[in-house]
Amino acid sequence: MIYQKHIGQAETHLLEAAKEFQKCMQCGKCRSVCPVFKEIGNELYVARGKNKLAEKIVSGDLQVTDRVKDAINECLNCKTCSANCPAGVSPEHVVLRLRWYITSREGLGIFKALIFRQLIWRKWPTTIAAISVGAVQRMLFGIGPKNPVRYLFPLFGFSKRRFFPTLALRTGQSLYPEVVPSKNGQPIKRIGYFTGCAGNLIYTNVVKSVVDILTGYGYEVVIPKDQKCSGTPVLANGDYDGARMLMEHNFNLFRRYKLDAIVVACSSCGLALKKEIKLFIDDSEELRQFCDKVYDINEFIEQEIEFEENELGRLDYQVTYHDPCHLVRGQDISAEPRDILKRIPGVTFKEMKDAAVCCGSAGSYCLTHYDTSIKINNHKVKNIREAGVDYVATACPTCVMHMQDNLLQHGSLEKAKFVVEILADSLRAAGTIE
Amino acid sequence: MHKRQLEELAEIFGKDNTLSQPEDLMSYSYDASHAEALPEVVVFATTTEQISALMRFAYREHIPVTPRGQGSGLSGGSVPIEKGIVLVLDKMQKVIDFDPENRLITVETGITTADIDPIVAGANLFYPPDPGSVAFSTIGGNIAENAGGLRGLKYGVTKDYVKMLKVVLPKGDIVSIGSKCVKHVAGFNIEPIFVGSEGLLGIITEVTLALLPIPEHRESALAVFNTLDDAARSVAAIIAAGVTPSTMEFMDNTTINAIQNFKDCNLPRDAEAVLLIETDGEKGSAVSEMVKIKEAVSNNRVRNFSMAKNTEERDLLFEGRRVALNALANVKPNLILEDATVVRSKLPEMVKGIVDISSRYGLQVGIFGHAGDGNLHPTFLINKNDSDEMARTEKAVKELFQLAIDLEGTISGEHGIGLEKKPFLEDQIGAAGIAMLRDIKRTFDPENLLNPGKMFDFTPFKENLF
Repeated sequence: MIYQKHIGQAETHLLEAAKEFQKCMQCGKCRSVCPVFKEIGNELYVARGKNKLAEKIVSGDLQVTDRVKDAINECLNCKTCSANCPAGVSPEHVVLRLRWYITSREGLGIFKALIFRQLIWRKWPTTIAAISVGAVQRMLFGIGPKNPVRYLFPLFGFSKRRFFPTLALRTGQSLYPEVVPSKNGQPIKRIGYFTGCAGNLIYTNVVKSVVDILTGYGYEVVIPKDQKCSGTPVLANGDYDGARMLMEHNFNLFRRYKLDAIVVACSSCGLALKKEIKLFIDDSEELRQFCDKVYDINEFIEQEIEFEENELGRLDYQVTYHDPCHLVRGQDISAEPRDILKRIPGVTFKEMKDAAVCCGSAGSYCLTHYDTSIKINNHKVKNIREAGVDYVATACPTCVMHMQDNLLQHGSLEKAKFVVEILADSLRAAGTIE
Repeated sequence: MHKRQLEELAEIFGKDNTLSQPEDLMSYSYDASHAEALPEVVVFATTTEQISALMRFAYREHIPVTPRGQGSGLSGGSVPIEKGIVLVLDKMQKVIDFDPENRLITVETGITTADIDPIVAGANLFYPPDPGSVAFSTIGGNIAENAGGLRGLKYGVTKDYVKMLKVVLPKGDIVSIGSKCVKHVAGFNIEPIFVGSEGLLGIITEVTLALLPIPEHRESALAVFNTLDDAARSVAAIIAAGVTPSTMEFMDNTTINAIQNFKDCNLPRDAEAVLLIETDGEKGSAVSEMVKIKEAVSNNRVRNFSMAKNTEERDLLFEGRRVALNALANVKPNLILEDATVVRSKLPEMVKGIVDISSRYGLQVGIFGHAGDGNLHPTFLINKNDSDEMARTEKAVKELFQLAIDLEGTISGEHGIGLEKKPFLEDQIGAAGIAMLRDIKRTFDPENLLNPGKMFDFTPFKENLF
């Protein structure tokens, strides 16, 4: 399975890419919005250049060289180009199709195969690895900027300057039973919760916040124990088949629980379950019903829960909000998280400049392309600092990780936090939830 | 290109700014037109001196040089059709001097035009020309193509704002021409020849632009018409009433429906045409101009005339026009955007002619554009893979150009000749006109090494027409 290649499928990916790039008018507008191009400044790295590159690969005028691979790996999948494209092209899909095409022809390689088909697919090795790292991190009492352990980072492909969040000792999913009953009488609805790996292994406080809010307001929450990665990092790294296996697994798993809705507190997992899954699983009535049931947690709370004034405790925070790409452009959600923050008594909401511009994290991009991703993030940190806030709230784990890292690099005191965590803080302060 | 030549270029520009891998050459082989040609090397300049050294090198080694900004040109002006060197200028972005007292700004050639306004807004000034590509085209490119925009009727085009230029001539000499003074008659009035020269006569590296005070007030309105004729007559009536709107944008029924399918902008699907009109200036004058406009359109059977009460309403009115091209692009896989222009009194005939041509060739066309200055953008909606349709479009476009010429208009209002319209230029300016352009080119660039192959075919010797 690991080394298997799919040449037939490869052609399909090129045909699908062609459907997109053929619409390109080559106007050049993407040059004014692409965060990667702004830092690199070479046409090869902008959406128009990548469309042209795909066109030349299809026509046979260009071979898939290392430089071609480098260019198509320099994409954040932030969707800023497609949101601004006059011709309605989705260049990020051209990029993804090219990545899938290359993997289909050349195989996954032992390193990615090990990660995507073994560690992530089997889940338990990832969990054990994460918990072990968490334990080591605690033994080292936090890896400060001068800690010699940093010299080991490059061995794992990370910059030695990098600040990492502390991994959990107990996974988010193991904090609760599979079915968490409503704490407020008969359940109003039965809600599935897709925690995502980051919620499960790093940001377990998000899992607590989501479950406590939902059960506190009368929902029954189901956290299927066997849920796996949504497929986002897998599909972004070129493994179409691996992502499809994960998507099919989660699709079949969640359907078994007879849920009224599925909530996700990670913008990229939400996008994968709502939309990207349609690229992997054949269209059917069941699939459409499944996708329609998926909600980002901010969207769900805004639509479903009415907060009484006395239920929200006072938090004297100055807060700004950063729009994760896969929420604002991926799912068209931008007002909901802001409205939640503005509703909390004591919170002063300050809109920062360019809130919807990508922070440069883009999942594993900030691991593999640290320097560029930090250059992109420097604009974000500048805007956060200019806003004059205590917290930058957002709704995506890699945004939190990356912004927090770079804020620390700059010696800034602002903290990155999830909107749902701040909401839970407020509800806890008033004693509304546990 | 020899290794020795590449090494010499790397000495001038630095290794990182001299690219010759096939992927890089491919990335600089095109612009926003349909033309495409691979260069042999791509260089990124950061100083005027580098460019001077490059041109001396090019003349010594006899290698063509094609200058390029952001590559957003619609006529193929930055496509290296004769191979050689592509000179990229988009890294030259410095602001050299902002002089609010004299309402001037001096910038390097590669600055994005839209980046000028935020710099000068603090002094309550603005740079009026606003081509559709204002956010992704360089000021150098705007000057080389003499770019227009939405505000042409009242504020003119790029050529009206160029005060001074620093230019590297084809053989490598650096000249500063023009003056910051309002009045200046020392020597020939030479700077206009570089405006719209499409990179054939020299490489603009620095530019001093005139700025205007930001108008104090703005009034915006949407006029809906049942016939094209009513709309066209209204345009004439508005001008006849002595009003100069800052914007007067036209959209036809095809465009309106494409917009409504794309995004609901509150445009009436059954209207044959709409005009988006804006007046600006001191509050009293902008308001009274709008009153006159309302009168003028009312006399020409306007179906509905609505004015924006605040900025949000204004933005909503203009949203439709803003997304017009996006919307048309969604109707069919591809489109061909033209810019044939006539004087505004000939606008009704032009619109009728376009509709007639497109129906004769069985083509779908959306018409929108700057009605106030007669610059329309007939947009043919096509499928590139349909060879029959492509052939019909080619013929239709040719007829469209002839129509513009017959109506005493021009084959290009703001996109330039480049490669796309090169075959048609002689139809407009005649053989003697082409010969004169060649003579001028020969004076500046006897070896035809700077942006060769564009606008007209070069002949090395002086022509003898008689």
